[in-house]
Amino acid sequence: MTGSAATQATQSEDTWIPSSCGMCYNQCGIRGHRVDGTLVKIEGNPENPIGRGRLCARGLAGIQLLYDPHRVNRPLRRTNPEKGIGVDPVWKEIGWDEALDEITDRLARVREEDPRGFFFSGTVISLAPLMHALGTFLPAFGSPSAFVSDGHHCGNAEHILARTLHASVTTNPDVAHCDHLLLFGCQAGLGTYYALTTMAQDVADARDRGMKVVVVDPFMGTAAEKADEWVPIKPGSDGALACAILNLLVNEYRIFDADYLRDHADGPYLLTDDGWYARDTETGKPLVWDVDAGALRPFDAPDLGAVALEGHYEVENATCRTVFQALREQVAKWTPEAAEEVTTVPAALIRRMAREFGEAASIGSTIVIDGVELPLRPASALYFKGAHGHDNAWPTSLAIELINEVVGASNVPGGLLGTNPVCLGHPDTGFPRWQPGPDADGLLEAGALLYNDPYGRSPGWPPPPESADLPNLRDLVGWPITTCFTPAALNDRENFSFDHAPQVLLNYGSNLLMSVARPEVCFEAFKDAFVVCVNLHSDETAEALADIVLPDACYLERLDPLPNFTRHHHPVGMGDWGHTIRQPLVEPLYERRHFSEVLLELARRLGITEPMNLLTNNLFGLVAPHALEGGAEYEWREIADRAYKSWFGEERGLAWFEEHGVVTWPKKVEEVFWKPFIHARAPLYNEWVKRSGEQVAKIALDRNMKGVDTSGFVALPDWRPCRAWRPRDGFDLQAIYYRVPWHTFSMTYENPWLDEISRGEPYSYFVCINTATARAKGIEDGDPLEVEGADGGTIRGRARLTEGVHPEVLAVANNGGHWAKGMPFARGKGIFFNQLLPMDLEHTDLVSLSMDCDARVRVRKVGEA
Amino acid sequence: MRLGMVIDLKRCIGCYGCQIACKAENGTRPGTTWARVVKREWGEYPDVKKLSIPVLCMHCGEPPCVEVCPTGASQKQESDGIVFVETDVCVGCRACVMACPYGARYYQDDERDYFEQGNNAYEQCVYSAHQKGVVEKCDFCRHRLARGDEPACSANCMCKARIFGDLDDPTSEVSRLIREEGGFQLNPELGTDPSVWYLPPER
Ligand code: SF4
Ligand code: SF4
Ligand code: SF4
Repeated sequence: MTGSAATQATQSEDTWIPSSCGMCYNQCGIRGHRVDGTLVKIEGNPENPIGRGRLCARGLAGIQLLYDPHRVNRPLRRTNPEKGIGVDPVWKEIGWDEALDEITDRLARVREEDPRGFFFSGTVISLAPLMHALGTFLPAFGSPSAFVSDGHHCGNAEHILARTLHASVTTNPDVAHCDHLLLFGCQAGLGTYYALTTMAQDVADARDRGMKVVVVDPFMGTAAEKADEWVPIKPGSDGALACAILNLLVNEYRIFDADYLRDHADGPYLLTDDGWYARDTETGKPLVWDVDAGALRPFDAPDLGAVALEGHYEVENATCRTVFQALREQVAKWTPEAAEEVTTVPAALIRRMAREFGEAASIGSTIVIDGVELPLRPASALYFKGAHGHDNAWPTSLAIELINEVVGASNVPGGLLGTNPVCLGHPDTGFPRWQPGPDADGLLEAGALLYNDPYGRSPGWPPPPESADLPNLRDLVGWPITTCFTPAALNDRENFSFDHAPQVLLNYGSNLLMSVARPEVCFEAFKDAFVVCVNLHSDETAEALADIVLPDACYLERLDPLPNFTRHHHPVGMGDWGHTIRQPLVEPLYERRHFSEVLLELARRLGITEPMNLLTNNLFGLVAPHALEGGAEYEWREIADRAYKSWFGEERGLAWFEEHGVVTWPKKVEEVFWKPFIHARAPLYNEWVKRSGEQVAKIALDRNMKGVDTSGFVALPDWRPCRAWRPRDGFDLQAIYYRVPWHTFSMTYENPWLDEISRGEPYSYFVCINTATARAKGIEDGDPLEVEGADGGTIRGRARLTEGVHPEVLAVANNGGHWAKGMPFARGKGIFFNQLLPMDLEHTDLVSLSMDCDARVRVRKVGEA
Repeated sequence: MRLGMVIDLKRCIGCYGCQIACKAENGTRPGTTWARVVKREWGEYPDVKKLSIPVLCMHCGEPPCVEVCPTGASQKQESDGIVFVETDVCVGCRACVMACPYGARYYQDDERDYFEQGNNAYEQCVYSAHQKGVVEKCDFCRHRLARGDEPACSANCMCKARIFGDLDDPTSEVSRLIREEGGFQLNPELGTDPSVWYLPPER
């Protein structure tokens, strides 16, 4: 590590070092104060546009992760041959060589027999090392068996729609110009979500300016607390509400942006009776109705007249309707009254919500930004896990997205923006660079998602599914970017007709036993495999499953040249680009090692350095003369240096970034509000989902698969009840989890400062229950409760009676309740919500692989534990 | 000059960042939270309100804590109104803890460590600044003010809900906000005249 800022440690050293936070996926800019080799303070880096010098509680508390005495410091080997949940592995410390020898040996054997038997799971919190593994090591090894194990925290359906409608992986509203923010089960800028620390500043400014915030959520979390209007809803019914709002906008109030829908969406494309685009027999191009010519024309015919957005037309003796017409007819059944019955949101309120949103969008208005006149649509509807954490995720998410689309509030000022889908590069080099464009049908195609995608997938539409061979179902459903369905598929192996079993699992940074679903799901899937956990703690997964644990360097001890791949979770809207570094604020303590360096070492030992070099060039966009060559061996620092130089020129290599921390340059208006500049249509109608559904049904039939219900592969929004919504005898409540701004998944429960918050805060270590509901059951505040799931699983916790929760709902914060010996501080703190969640085909939205994250339950008071 | 803080209850989302910003800056011991957040809820479903109220030492204009202190350890800085404890002089009698109506003072007797292994390398560094057997409290980060920075909690607040400045200067941002946005003090009836002001959550 010679030359790194971290090694400049001398006697009576006193230095500040710029880096990136890693306490959640947002990777905010930090700087660390190191005195005589000890890190004594983390604060925000004001020079970094990601956070602009302000951090959340977790980011400020990271120092207690670095120096947590319960961290794993040396490789560990299991000496108790028995594996099991709650079983003591009886760890024995071993040397790195011994550990790597054994891992190499196992991997080499799998690779020879059937590389698919090598499974990898990782956490999105450590995005850079995760991408390094997914983008280079796995494909070089030859295994497609990877999954992201953030489980019920994953964006799933949201990522798909971020891609189809916004050419990105995620979205955020342009609050700088927004007047009306409608949030469905999401706390953007109000406690959680992407680019939190920057969005919090911008949302507070916008609210000060008068932006109205409406929060649809069964629980009054930090967002609903600040909302101008809290709209409590039955969990899993957000799609019905969104369909009703759409219906009011496009049918009753006729508030929609006809120009946008005609020119920037597939609104005028004609659909045949059987639900496919009507296509030109010669060119295969989608057809539209040319009003002036009174004829059908390809959508991009050069001399096209005025194009019809609504109505039915004759095509080859059959009647067609436009996509927008189909949408209008599709949502017509969702009257506010029908939606009220499902959602418990009063019809009158739904009407007002729709009207206020539609009026706020001020269709037709424009704004001049940096001298450019642009459409102004100051209304955004946004959603996250509360809305899409259900097995109806796809149609629900689509319905909410289309609220923005119909008023044209998509990738223009004031509307919902993709997370930086256009980057025209640093002014000195023109790198990094990506932008979306139209495909053959004129539909939006992303330029790049995470710079270059893992598996060398090029941006574009998913190929039709071909098989069900991949246990992550990537083949089957085509597009889910992250999914944790793998363990469920493994537990249903015969049904999926997998002819291979996991031989080795390499689990990086995730506690999948706790994060995916109830622990038995992942335990069963991998109990017969050789399991290596690379992690910070001997957590529940390590203790139940691992044969070897490798001590990982945490985010304060490691070098990541692209902590967020420049745009993932980077703030949206005008302002600066920030390309940052993550570097060690202290050298890895004890024998901890950076996972990326471990991957390089394993590649060397396995003899796959050459393909890995090629893939590294692809992943990092390394260009001559900085591309890696042949099978040459490179140190991690060298690779980082080449990545920086490829993007930012000779003078801005690793040493420059170690000193300066971040390179910034101003965003251009055509990057941020790209929609008017790039003619690529947003698909309201999702032909590809319909196609996928038919193909999945065919595969299921061919293979005689059970439980594959393809009725959810719909091309237009709709609503159907999720599993947990359906009544079950005696189970009268729905349990949901919500997120607090001071915890990330389950890992932060080990942090004493963050625990101190939860202990002083009234809700997060309790089961929140509506006061009237509790009283009717004879439950008083503080009573010990047992919550039993209709689909199995029981959790315990104390009652917190509150008015801030839907009467049919129990709300639990995040996912605590650790039990591992290796996390004694976290043990028993908070409640292990996921115990209530099974994972199987029945509880999964097959389009997005979102799992049902709520559970039908009953609650009873129990005696003091 | 009278230094004070305005906490905007409309902007604040109750994220507890200030509580941790203070801990990270001052390295206070377990159980000590010079800055913290109080949460309240009222109303009846579905017409419910929740409110997060960040609190810290109010740096009272008429501080009862200073009045009762027998040793003179608790003082009010003439130049800027900051109330602080000269811990070398404090004998730990805790009269001030009883006298403070805002729960802002912490007697350093907590024997509990965060981790059962005792202090980690970081804690060994920072706890040396905190004597045991004395009373501690927020001092508006005097060490930061001395180098021209604002207090850690307001510098970090990701909603920019905490504004620091001179209450005596009518042109300062804090004075303007108090004047124009309906600023109020907590428990004014106690007559302590806090230097920490709040802006109403709805306006
Ligand atoms: S939002 Fe995430 S990355 Fe940013 S400071 Fe908080 S924990 Fe760190
Ligand atoms: S840091 Fe700011 S927003 Fe967060 S609780 Fe404190 S005052 Fe409120
Ligand atoms: S809040 Fe309490 S400690 Fe602070 S000045 Fe007032 S009385 Fe003294």
